[in-house]
Amino acid sequence: MTEYDLDDSGVVVIIGSGAGGGTLAHELTKRGVGVVLLEAGRHLSAEDFVNDEWGGYEMLSWLDKRTASGDWRVARDHPVTPSWSCQVVGGTTTHWSGCCYRLIEDEMRARTVYGDIAGASLIDWPLTLDELEPYYDLAEARMGVTRTNGLPGLPANNNFKVMYAGASALGLNASTGRQAINSVPYDGRPATIQDGFTVTGDKVGSRWSTLNVEIPRALATGRLELRPRSRAVFIEHDAAGKASGVVYVDAAGTRHRQKARAVVLAGNCVESSRLLLHSASSLFPQGLANGHGSVGRYYLRHIIQTVWSVFDKPVNMHRGEIMTGVVDDFVRHDPARGFAGGYYVELNSMGLPTTAAFLDPGWWGRDFAQVIEQYAHMAGMLLSGEDMPQAGNRITLNDELDAFGVPVANIHYDEHPNDLKMRSHGYKTMTAIHQAAGARRSVEAPAYPASHNLGSNRMSAKAEDGVLDGNGRAHEVPNLFIADGSAFATGGACNPTLTIVALAIRQADFMARQMAAGEL
Amino acid sequence: MTGIKAHKDPAMPPPLTVAEGPEWVEALTLLAPDMAHTLLAATRTLYPHDGLPERVYRRVILHFDRMAAMSPAAAQSLAEFVDRVDAAMPLPFRDLSESYRVAVLTSLEESAAFRLVQRSAVRFLYDDVEVWQAFGYEGASVHLGGYAARGFNDLDWLPEPPAGV
Ligand SMILES: Cc1cc2nc3c(=O)[nH]c(=O)nc-3n(C[C@H](O)[C@H](O)[C@H](O)COP(=O)(O)OP(=O)(O)OC[C@H]3O[C@@H](n4cnc5c(N)ncnc54)[C@H](O)[C@@H]3O)c2cc1C
Repeated sequence: MTEYDLDDSGVVVIIGSGAGGGTLAHELTKRGVGVVLLEAGRHLSAEDFVNDEWGGYEMLSWLDKRTASGDWRVARDHPVTPSWSCQVVGGTTTHWSGCCYRLIEDEMRARTVYGDIAGASLIDWPLTLDELEPYYDLAEARMGVTRTNGLPGLPANNNFKVMYAGASALGLNASTGRQAINSVPYDGRPATIQDGFTVTGDKVGSRWSTLNVEIPRALATGRLELRPRSRAVFIEHDAAGKASGVVYVDAAGTRHRQKARAVVLAGNCVESSRLLLHSASSLFPQGLANGHGSVGRYYLRHIIQTVWSVFDKPVNMHRGEIMTGVVDDFVRHDPARGFAGGYYVELNSMGLPTTAAFLDPGWWGRDFAQVIEQYAHMAGMLLSGEDMPQAGNRITLNDELDAFGVPVANIHYDEHPNDLKMRSHGYKTMTAIHQAAGARRSVEAPAYPASHNLGSNRMSAKAEDGVLDGNGRAHEVPNLFIADGSAFATGGACNPTLTIVALAIRQADFMARQMAAGEL
Repeated sequence: MTGIKAHKDPAMPPPLTVAEGPEWVEALTLLAPDMAHTLLAATRTLYPHDGLPERVYRRVILHFDRMAAMSPAAAQSLAEFVDRVDAAMPLPFRDLSESYRVAVLTSLEESAAFRLVQRSAVRFLYDDVEVWQAFGYEGASVHLGGYAARGFNDLDWLPEPPAGV
């Protein structure tokens, strides 16, 4: 592997090797740019991964303490793990289940289309869908998304048969949807063997991740130095207010300073905001790039919730890919529904260990026992919908420090009335689908720890509305970028990773152009 | 119950061994036998599966024991939990009938000690391969070729969706 000197100020330093950071590292190195990729987690391979829900969770997850406040149920159910992501080379792409949908035009013009919603701080994206679409095309090809580029959809599994029967009885449109999981061999990776364990690392490699696609290719260019077990703790700037380097702690606990031509944060939203808030200086007393106090604000986590239903006959939802199903009738904004924005109903399965843990985290007694005993007869679905940005929903720093001396993050989230209306509508839809397929009992399960973390360093046309411009560059620091979901101006309804990847490819184009022009 | 076979990933540690007789408590490293019996009664009341053998609940208690050995804070919470459930009624918790046990546990629901016991019971009980087998969760699959040829689409009591949907 190429090695760069700590004093080499010609490299771009990227913090985090997940969907955003891993993709950007590949795209920049491909364009001839030298990159140092700092990743807090270890570099694992397919042999290390296990087919075991808790084993995989403990191997991959970001388990450092966070705190939570606000009226969201997550604060009660998961008070020190309110957000769910990974700490490993490849980030949460080692864990995700591959659903890949695009934002639609209305969502990127949320303020204009939804109007002025009391209590919400909606804005339009500073870029249009037209500008993003060519990058969606590139991202889908790169990730091998089914039903794009001539790739067939994934086959119907047992859980999907239930969804399909219920949805079609109600006149809704269900399909196995689009996933970055190979239905046929593609790009040197095999087709799925329907093992059902993408969430614990994916030993087979049929699902796209930055660990198995982007990072090896970036390394092959000879321009990437990947430094695993390297925790960024501070971003420094020079007298002119440009980012000049990143202080990080290696596996042995030693502190280093890597100089940089540009710095990119891609630590999965909460970590990126935390690092900016912590990197305060006399020039940036409220934290780096935080002159308007927007860093950490407008935090979004999508309307995520699940419904699990029990049927008379076996379903065996654990067999096969986890999320191969979608109902897309509720995606478009439709004021007649009584709330703004839309949602996707997606297939969802879990094994017995996590079904028991997430069904309703405080639930116990004979009723719970009676439901969970029928695991083999259960089917599941998940809702992913747009939540409202609110100034008070934000990431802040606690007084308590972590092992690296960085303040522990607090995530505050109160549900907006629009969020609650969508939740209720969505539960009714999901339950109706299962009932139409013959469900005997349906359980409305609450949100998981936030798995779609977005918005807390958002892009905005006007500097005072956010943190970044339309290229993911800080309004206040011209060589500081963000490549994770915290850059989203609004959340949209769909699972975010395809958009994170498309934005990262677009950002690489921008950065390379700026460098060629001598401006970066 | 379900005629399936459950598999733990071969790379994961094997299930804890537990004796069938009363000497099972000898495997405890930190918890006193009395405490272990009370915690077992609580776990059975929290997650009452009449069809499951006693040994699966004992294995949960062996996991509690390891947790306590690793974390003094957890050990203290478990001790506090046992004290509180035993002090709630004129009889020790494990001598109470089920409805009284439920009432005692309900009264403690908001406490941190209850929460630790309840969450940990879920964590360990439903991760037990014998429970998987009983409830029809087959578990690890890659070492068996996945479910592609082992029933991922064998549901036959609903109409088949049209090809390519
Ligand atoms: C259970 C689950 C299922 C999901 N399924 C889907 C799905 O089907 N479709 C979809 O679109 N999305 C899905 N997601 C969400 C998806 O995983 C994320 O959107 C995506 O991975 C986010 O990319 P990222 O680059 O922002 O962060 P990540 O992929 O999480 O990568 C961030 C990386 O940064 C590292 N890092 C953070 N801070 C530091 C630091 N200070 N120093 C060094 N390194 C640091 C972390 O260790 C991590 O490796 C799922 C998420 C979960 C939890």
